Amino acid sequence: MHRLPRRQISRDLTRVANAPVSDVLEAIGDTDVPPAFRIGITGPPGGGKSTLINALVAERLGNSLETTLAVLAIDPASPVSGGAILGDRIRMDAIADLPGLFIRSLSSRGARNGLCDNVVDLLALLEGHGFSEILLETVGVGQSEVAVHEVVDTLVVIVPPDAGDSVQTMKSGILEMADIVVVTKGDQPGAQRMAADLAAVLRARAGREPPVIQTQSSGVGVAELSAAITAHHRWVTEQRPATLSREKRRIYHLKALIERQIHEALRSDQQIAQGTLSQSYDRLLANLRVT
Amino acid sequence: MTLEKKRILIAKPGLDGHDVGAKVIALALRDAGAEVIYTGLRRSPEQIVRIAVDEDVDMLGLSILSGSHKELARSVIAQLHAEEAGDIKVFVGGTIPDEDFDNLREAGVSGIFTSEMTIDSVIAEIERQLS
Repeated sequence: MHRLPRRQISRDLTRVANAPVSDVLEAIGDTDVPPAFRIGITGPPGGGKSTLINALVAERLGNSLETTLAVLAIDPASPVSGGAILGDRIRMDAIADLPGLFIRSLSSRGARNGLCDNVVDLLALLEGHGFSEILLETVGVGQSEVAVHEVVDTLVVIVPPDAGDSVQTMKSGILEMADIVVVTKGDQPGAQRMAADLAAVLRARAGREPPVIQTQSSGVGVAELSAAITAHHRWVTEQRPATLSREKRRIYHLKALIERQIHEALRSDQQIAQGTLSQSYDRLLANLRVT
Repeated sequence: MTLEKKRILIAKPGLDGHDVGAKVIALALRDAGAEVIYTGLRRSPEQIVRIAVDEDVDMLGLSILSGSHKELARSVIAQLHAEEAGDIKVFVGGTIPDEDFDNLREAGVSGIFTSEMTIDSVIAEIERQLS
């Protein structure tokens, strides 16, 4: 049986998470490994994401000795202190001992899109370490935080039955990006109705209608969800291979790198706002070239 | 913030089910800028060490109210060394009698925090050791 080099992976992740753009490329290294299957799990805070991931990982990893799976779980940073409480592990106790599993909790740090700084680099790094699947749990989201859609292959959006009005904002937002919708806490009143409401409002995207699956914390529905994730992956591979392409990922990665480089250049230059707009712009371009 | 980007694990080993103290410390560390991972209740030393390694923490705080602090701290520290993670500082907090302090320090514990101490003094000591 293989053994994950946990200390190495862990240290690499810290290095990349803290690295400025200029160091990121060196830290990730130029690997040519096949991309991992990336699954995104998102939804409102307290909706049951961590509980669901606990059950889903156990289902997908099972007792397999070959499959390796990494979980990146993002929690929000305090806007006041910059610190964070990363509590996703509280609900992931059932999977804590699986040998093929690696879990990393991340603070959103400066990111305001439901993800965290350097997330694409962290995903690339984990791929370099050969994980077959990566599960990305994002900060609870509403209307605007749809960026997760860009970095995963299959996006699972969870909705608790007591989501109430927040579902209204999700309808024109993250729900439109969902490949699979899960109504959690299926044993609570209102779950059935929420599932029916969602099924009525979800529209087919690219010729495919996202299934609505109900789960319970006891594990009901989790095997069905896992099968739906595998089925979606197969569908994308066969019907929409372009969305999985290396080129698409590369372009998103480049955008993420250059956006951060712009932030770094703006932050490091106190005089950037002086003079005319075109002078500021030229100055920014010059800063980007030298960094 | 002096604890900015520092990663700290707050862990509850053993069988006691009281985590108010652990949560108070976790919140105070967050307010000092740290990224705090909380394990939840009743984790084995094996699980705690694996979490500390996977999360690449700078410090591991064990919250223990059961009286088994000597055994649990020794077990965690021995396993950290076995995983080549002996550089992770280990702190112990909880109901620790004065006469056990020397024993814990000998085992490699870097700091001992009891309920008589103020939160500010605990955070200040952690900041000092991690800076």
